Amino acid sequence: MKFKLLLFILTKKLKAAAKSNPDYKKHLGLMQIKVLIRTADGKIGRLFIFDRGSFSAASSAENQADVALIWADAATAFRVMTSKNSDADTFQAAAEGKVRIEGMVPYLQWFTDGVKLAM
Amino acid sequence: MAIKGGHLVAKYLKEVEGIETIFALSGGHIEAILDGFTQYNIRAIDVRHEQVAAMAAQAWSVYAGQTGVCLVTAGPGFTNALTGIANAYLDNSPLVVLCGKHPLKEDLKGALQEMNQIDMVKPITKWAATCYETKRIPEYLSLAFRYATMGRPGPVFLELPPDILNVSVPEEDAPLPKIPTRKYTVHPDDADLKQAADLINKAKQPLFLGGSGVGFSCCDLALAQFMEQTGIPFILMNYGRGELPDNHPQSIWDIGNIGLTVTLAQADVIVIAGLRLNWLLQSGGAIPPTAKIVRIDIDPHEIDRNRQADAGLVGDVNSVLNELLPHLQKNDHSAWLKTLRTASAAFIDSELKARETPSDPIHPIRLVAQIQKVVGDDAYYVTDGGDTVYFGLVHFTSKLKAGVIGTASGLLGCLGTGIPFAMAAKIANPDKPVILFNGDGSFGFNAMEFDTMLRHNIPVVCVINNDCAWGMVKHGQELSIGKDRLQCTELAPRRYDKMVEALGGHGEYVTKDEEIIPALKRALESGKPACINVMTDPTALSPASVIFYQALKME
Repeated sequence: MKFKLLLFILTKKLKAAAKSNPDYKKHLGLMQIKVLIRTADGKIGRLFIFDRGSFSAASSAENQADVALIWADAATAFRVMTSKNSDADTFQAAAEGKVRIEGMVPYLQWFTDGVKLAM
Repeated sequence: MAIKGGHLVAKYLKEVEGIETIFALSGGHIEAILDGFTQYNIRAIDVRHEQVAAMAAQAWSVYAGQTGVCLVTAGPGFTNALTGIANAYLDNSPLVVLCGKHPLKEDLKGALQEMNQIDMVKPITKWAATCYETKRIPEYLSLAFRYATMGRPGPVFLELPPDILNVSVPEEDAPLPKIPTRKYTVHPDDADLKQAADLINKAKQPLFLGGSGVGFSCCDLALAQFMEQTGIPFILMNYGRGELPDNHPQSIWDIGNIGLTVTLAQADVIVIAGLRLNWLLQSGGAIPPTAKIVRIDIDPHEIDRNRQADAGLVGDVNSVLNELLPHLQKNDHSAWLKTLRTASAAFIDSELKARETPSDPIHPIRLVAQIQKVVGDDAYYVTDGGDTVYFGLVHFTSKLKAGVIGTASGLLGCLGTGIPFAMAAKIANPDKPVILFNGDGSFGFNAMEFDTMLRHNIPVVCVINNDCAWGMVKHGQELSIGKDRLQCTELAPRRYDKMVEALGGHGEYVTKDEEIIPALKRALESGKPACINVMTDPTALSPASVIFYQALKME
């Protein structure tokens, strides 16, 4: 539930930033990519869609994406994504087999850098 | 007895430096040197474009462990060679460029190919000079070789006008140096060594990054001892790759560039040896601010460049490691190594799957994996292109020194270097397979060198990753200006294999996964220079494309 709420809040924040945060707007540029964050069982997920400066999101976790961050479970996802040391915690989660990335990793870095600007 | 200036050049090369192979393109101004090669039995690989002469000679320094030499003629021969010289300069590779010049006696008379070559070449060489006296040829050549190899290596340039090449002098007036060029080593202070050792001994999650300085210092024995003693996970890049085999238990090439990027952020001590923190490591930005840094470099200017070092050891990597060893404790970082491998695997999941999965159209990673399956790790792999270099560097492995080289991944980002490097690799190692993995765009620059390979029996197997585009730039444009506004980045589905067949080589055309291995086997068995033209997925882009695009985004 917490993870679902986190994805919902993240969507709201990114939507707002795409409209009114000049740094975030610059960051978006003309990128046309889809970033998926979901649990491995597909029960919780969010597709973040970036299309030449515009932003939207979809709730289905089954969508095709350019990069997907796939968490073993919602509890780990919430803990790591809200951690103050999320890089190290993501690394550790990866080492423990609790997260994997499918697709183009640099896009995920781009997405994460954007989230930092939007917050 | 009298000796002609041109012959004196060849005599010096053969008798003092032990040079037996050089790369050249003929020209009237340098005829006397060419005749000298005949006289002193030096093998001249005559190429079809002077940039190849310079690039192949640079590659000779990498693959043969001997300073490479090229000979080009004045004027256009000189200007054509400039790209190759610039590449060697930015790669810190030793290279001696011998060049023709208009006759001195015709200076300022509008002579054929009269131009100021020295001022043009100075910014991309360590040393550039004109020899004005026949009897001083050995002295100038001695200076050239010493400048090329001492300290941070690099290219040097020596002009030899016909006025001195085509006249004879008594041999006793032009004595050859008794001592050939050799390396002079620089040693760090004891206090610096202890400081560095202290950091390394206390590290919990260390990494060792080695660059071309590792390769040019020929430090395999010291490096093996260092790794054995410290247990540090390591990655060897650029011309340092293969100084220890890719399959060494502590080598982390299996995690690729993405794994390295992720792992670097978690390291607490990073030893950076013979490697500049240039754009490939985000000018130091890839190194976490919390990590302690030990820099080893032959050039003192590099010690704090783009990132302040916590310990700086100036000297060639081999000497420094040998002096560092007595200060190092025996350590075991196997748990850290296991963690970083497992964590990185989660980040490169898609690439690992692509290796094992047949695809239609063929994915370049799958193509690399199939080549590796047939050719193995006792081979030389050369990769040239944009995305092609990424796929090759990350997914080929070799147990040989310089066994996997991404020729276009240096500071100059010089496409077209693959063919000359592959040629030099094969000439230096005729008994080993040499596979060139070439983008279709970069193939075009020096494709005519298949003629050279045929004339000189240099059976390189070139596999073209043919996505009908300048792929990396095309994908960058897709990200930055949109798929509907691509400009100058698309090529056509050309039959490069037929072109090579027409020249007399072996050609193969591949469009399906199951055709890759049989085509490769036929090409290797042909014993000829071969071109396997593989049509690959034009939508497949590498992480390098995305990083490249982001690096050039200015607002």
